[in-house]
Amino acid sequence: MRFWGMFRFTIGETIRRGVLIFYFCVATCFLIFFSLGVGQSAENPGVITIFGSEFAHESMPGLNVAEFMLIQLHSSSVFWIVLFGIFGVAGLIPNMLEKGTIDLFLSKPLTRTELLLARSLGAATGIAVNLVYFFAGIWLIFGLKAGVWHWGFLSSVIYVVYAFACLFSIVAVAGLFTRSAGFSILIAFSFVLISWLLELRESLLFLISDNPVYHWILDAFYYITPQFNAMLSNSSRVIGSNPLSLSPPQFTFMPYIYSFFSASLLYGLALWYFSRRDY
Amino acid sequence: MEAIQTADLTKHYRTGLLNKKNINALEKVSLSVEQGSIFGLLGPNGAGKTTFVKLLLSIAFPTSGTASVLGYPIGQRALKEQCGYLPESHKYPGFLTATDTLIFFGRLNGLPETALKDKAKYLLELVGLKDWADVKTKKFSKGMLQRLGLAQALVNDPKLLFLDEPTDGVDPVGRKEIRDILVNLKNAGTTIFLNSHLLSEIEMICDNVAILKKGCVVRTGSIADLTTQKLIYNIQLSAQIPEDTKVNLSHKHFSLEFKDTNLAATLNDKSELNSIIDTLRADGIGIEGVTQQKMSLEDYFIQLMKEENRQ
Repeated sequence: MRFWGMFRFTIGETIRRGVLIFYFCVATCFLIFFSLGVGQSAENPGVITIFGSEFAHESMPGLNVAEFMLIQLHSSSVFWIVLFGIFGVAGLIPNMLEKGTIDLFLSKPLTRTELLLARSLGAATGIAVNLVYFFAGIWLIFGLKAGVWHWGFLSSVIYVVYAFACLFSIVAVAGLFTRSAGFSILIAFSFVLISWLLELRESLLFLISDNPVYHWILDAFYYITPQFNAMLSNSSRVIGSNPLSLSPPQFTFMPYIYSFFSASLLYGLALWYFSRRDY
Repeated sequence: MEAIQTADLTKHYRTGLLNKKNINALEKVSLSVEQGSIFGLLGPNGAGKTTFVKLLLSIAFPTSGTASVLGYPIGQRALKEQCGYLPESHKYPGFLTATDTLIFFGRLNGLPETALKDKAKYLLELVGLKDWADVKTKKFSKGMLQRLGLAQALVNDPKLLFLDEPTDGVDPVGRKEIRDILVNLKNAGTTIFLNSHLLSEIEMICDNVAILKKGCVVRTGSIADLTTQKLIYNIQLSAQIPEDTKVNLSHKHFSLEFKDTNLAATLNDKSELNSIIDTLRADGIGIEGVTQQKMSLEDYFIQLMKEENRQ
């Protein structure tokens, strides 16, 4: 009851934040745009129309146009949604730690662990609500107007929310240590960039030096931190293989498994620190 | 059973990142607060009043010493379930209405969902915010937020209420209303622990007080004990004192002040009072009353702080 009280409050706080209201408006505009542009040919139900152009479901061998569209839409929108998400929720922990707020929360019969977990889970759920709004909207538009009910596209939301929850472990630790929304955002974005660079370490960073210690450090850092970039890339593979890629990588659960442990470690660090601090 | 019992409660902080400094916020504070009473904790800024409450509610952790609240060692969930707290500078989510705020804090206290709306309605009426129930708190004035804070602290029907500057920013009528609420709560058996700078208010409603200075308790006792000046008496007479009597009295080494039909006597010993009364009666002057002179709590506090600063 107490935990869910804080959880519900955090979702409400997340949804009411200006950045996410802006996101909601932008997402709504996109949904209206797609609902006007996507359709089905009146003469041939096997042909979908995208902004006036007609495409058969399999225009070329191995190329499903609708799926291709959804993969491109997913890949290009996920980064921006996560960007909005970080801006939207980075302040949740520092706000909670403000004088006058933390005193009130800690005076209630709620353990510090419950409080931090409710905030983190609430933030992830708040972002999930926003993601589901956009993705379910697109899914419904393609389903209702073009007859393409792509469950892979809809289920990819779960992987993106999971990736965001892992990323929030960084935001939570940064928020607890710095008590600043600005720093939390900065650290979260730095981490996204680092995660992207670490993902490319074999083809990019390893070229800088042949030193095995350097390679080992980069590998270690890659595996002990949430593999955010790998998780996002994998989430689009749930929809299907990108036909533009010559050797498309297969979907793998490994980044999610590694990230589960590293995010758990970071949440553990956050809880350890939070449970010992004086406020 | 005591509502609050502390023994040698100590809190030292370390501040600064590179140049670490130790701050002794509380130093071996031993206090006990009776159940069903209103207890005031006084002290200048930085004396450790807020820290003391924070330690009792596990918002901060003690360096050493022990404390129990309502019979529970500090840190237990059962303790917090029975306490209400209004912090000094409290912030409420501006996007919530007054009713939603109380419902939210009711949930955090584990109240059943079905009771929350009625509870919020009752409390908003109690603190005079009935007409503002559906207004977002970002539109509230400081005084209104203070009233809402009091309602929030009462949402779980606490047995012990911690209030840090509860009337800060509240207009005089509001202050009176808050005082009345506190007295009614006390009469209903609630223990109230009050931190305030407004000594006149403390004096009006508190049964006992403790005075903190630089983290140490320098005085504890009832308001009457602290403010009564034991060897200064006011004697109300039926008529003005004749000059002969004044001369007779002044021979006896008392410090006397005559004003119309009043006589203020500063004595060295309580037995000297009988001597004055005997002299007055012998001279045929009627005595209408004898009272011990009191000073205001504010005067007492200022005098004490001066004494402490001299030491």
